[in-house]
Amino acid sequence: MAVRAYGLATGVAEVLRYRQLLLSLTWRDIRIRYKQSMLGIGWAILLPLSMMLIFTFVFTRAVDASALLNVDMPYALFAYIGLVPWTFFSLALSGCVNSLVANRNLVTKVYFPREVFPLSCIASSFVDFVIAFSVLCGLIAYFHFSGEWSFQPRLTLLFLPLVISVQIVLMIGIGMMLAMANLFYRDVRQVFGVAIQLLMFLSNVVVPVPRHGLLGQVLAANPMVPLIGAYRDCVVHGRLPDPAGFAYATIFAFVVLISGWLCFRKASFRFAECI
Amino acid sequence: MTCPAVRVLHVSKRFRIGQSHDSLRDLIAAWGERLFGRRAGAKDSTFWAVKDLSFEVEPGEALGIIGPNGAGKSTVLRLLAGILRPEAGEVSVRGRLAALIEVGAGFHGDLTGRENVFLNGAILGMPRREIRAKLDSIVAFAGIERFLDMPVKRYSSGMYARLGFSIAAHVDPDVLLVDEVLSVGDAVFRLRCIERMRELVETGCSLVFVTHNLEQMQSICQRAIVLEDGAPTFAGRSREAVGHYMNAMTRAYTGRPTDLVCGGEHAGGAAGQIDLRFLDRRGEEVVWVRPSQPLRAELSFRLARPISKLVVELNLRASVNENLLSFNSGRDGLVFQGHVGEHRVTLDIPGLRLSGGQYFWNVRMWDAERGTTEADTPLQFPMVIDDEGRATGSLALEHQWAFDAPAPETRRDTQCAEGEAIAVKVGGGR
Repeated sequence: MAVRAYGLATGVAEVLRYRQLLLSLTWRDIRIRYKQSMLGIGWAILLPLSMMLIFTFVFTRAVDASALLNVDMPYALFAYIGLVPWTFFSLALSGCVNSLVANRNLVTKVYFPREVFPLSCIASSFVDFVIAFSVLCGLIAYFHFSGEWSFQPRLTLLFLPLVISVQIVLMIGIGMMLAMANLFYRDVRQVFGVAIQLLMFLSNVVVPVPRHGLLGQVLAANPMVPLIGAYRDCVVHGRLPDPAGFAYATIFAFVVLISGWLCFRKASFRFAECI
Repeated sequence: MTCPAVRVLHVSKRFRIGQSHDSLRDLIAAWGERLFGRRAGAKDSTFWAVKDLSFEVEPGEALGIIGPNGAGKSTVLRLLAGILRPEAGEVSVRGRLAALIEVGAGFHGDLTGRENVFLNGAILGMPRREIRAKLDSIVAFAGIERFLDMPVKRYSSGMYARLGFSIAAHVDPDVLLVDEVLSVGDAVFRLRCIERMRELVETGCSLVFVTHNLEQMQSICQRAIVLEDGAPTFAGRSREAVGHYMNAMTRAYTGRPTDLVCGGEHAGGAAGQIDLRFLDRRGEEVVWVRPSQPLRAELSFRLARPISKLVVELNLRASVNENLLSFNSGRDGLVFQGHVGEHRVTLDIPGLRLSGGQYFWNVRMWDAERGTTEADTPLQFPMVIDDEGRATGSLALEHQWAFDAPAPETRRDTQCAEGEAIAVKVGGGR
């Protein structure tokens, strides 16, 4: 090992070399999140579930939003399948924003590829995501057997891992940018907190987005919109996701990943002095 | 020829003093200033924390880095560890590196000792399998068997440090960087750490050791570098480096003789601006001396009032309360007549025959007529005695061995004649 290079290829190689550490930090994050809490890992299910119940109550009981909620499945199911990927997205990224700053001790005292911090945040949230997603099966079964609505399993379910992968690629790119930006400017965390709230209502997480018109086009620029649509399509509707939207999200995700990671590599040698 | 494990070539590192925007508001303000041509003074000034430093460490070699606070010692280690990148020059490290820049840097308070061993091991680059195999040894070395499953937030600071060092010491690194971490932990543990570091070096590990404990450094490192203001002022054998460093430190002292005459109750004494220097035969100031080296102590001070019977005492101490040697003019039957103004007293000593270590001088003065203490300095005049590691105990006396061996029975043609005495003279020196 001569002089340390800061290119993208070395970044990938270094992360692979330190995969053990990535696993350890992920495991640490999970342990710490649920240590000294009574429900423990149950929170992974309770968080999206309670959000789903709130939105179901608000949109189907408290206010009359039937015109807005023209969805072809029980609203609770619609909300839950949107909230699970979105919770993964927002919780993992808000972890990423703080990941470098919160580990200041490690950043300034020990050397290893700094990518490990945002990556481990995403990985530990992924565990929650998998648990929360599995509850979806129970929810589908409930609505199917209560006779409200019928579910036909289709082969399009095989498309699901691809959708999840694209979302993760997108999150790694954004996560690295956020972690880095917050290290230099602590305002990023505040801005992120507001933006992620706003973004939830500007996408199809709990309400469908308009398909046409200027507003529809603007909202479709958010890559999470076609992704959440793709979750609903391939799991519940049993059809392939909209090809144009999904291709857009995929390209967007990879562009963000490459540019985000490159910036991160370039700046990473300054982390220890600027943190 | 072996390849150096650590190579540092003309390395310089610069830090910014100002203009690091910590919030977006500052950044926008700075842009505004640039846009309207207003510059806020010397906001973007920088300083060089390390200046043109070069050294190499071979496998199985230990290098000490000493110097005053803020000299750039820790920055050098962080450059070696890859945490910082130099502005100029080249740093290369071959093999597995373990850096102990802060003990237990990766510990998380909510996790148990056991969990932290695995986490910290991974941070230091150990595979899980290896950690599992070494767990018992790590825990035994740290001596925390009973507390292994307790969250480390309830550990004492000593336990915390012991566990941190123990993990790093079990990495079996090719290059080990240690930064002033042994000051925590008790004496027994410190000894074990030193032992372990020596063991690692003997098995081919390269050690770079930053410390203020000069004795500890000398006991491990063959070579040392003295850093002052980021620049190396001396590189060579560690004993000589310590001498250089101590001499430089006192020069910094004597540059401004202190008025801080004594601690506490004797602050109202008549003597001030006390300075004590030691000169060798050539009249050069020394702080690092050999046990047999003749010395001249030169004491200068200023009296605020005339004292007709002044008694001067020089005490050599290893710690605040332990007097090892005392030179008292009164007991030697001498009192001085002191006037208002500068005075100089010299004392010739044939040699301080003490074993190697760090000592301090204390100066006291009395008015024998009134019976008042006029000065009692804190331990501000250091001295390092170097006996080349020969003496243990407190004295280093000149001595001579004689060994009468019986003649070898089978080989009568050896050079060693029957009953010949083999004499080795030890000590003496110059």
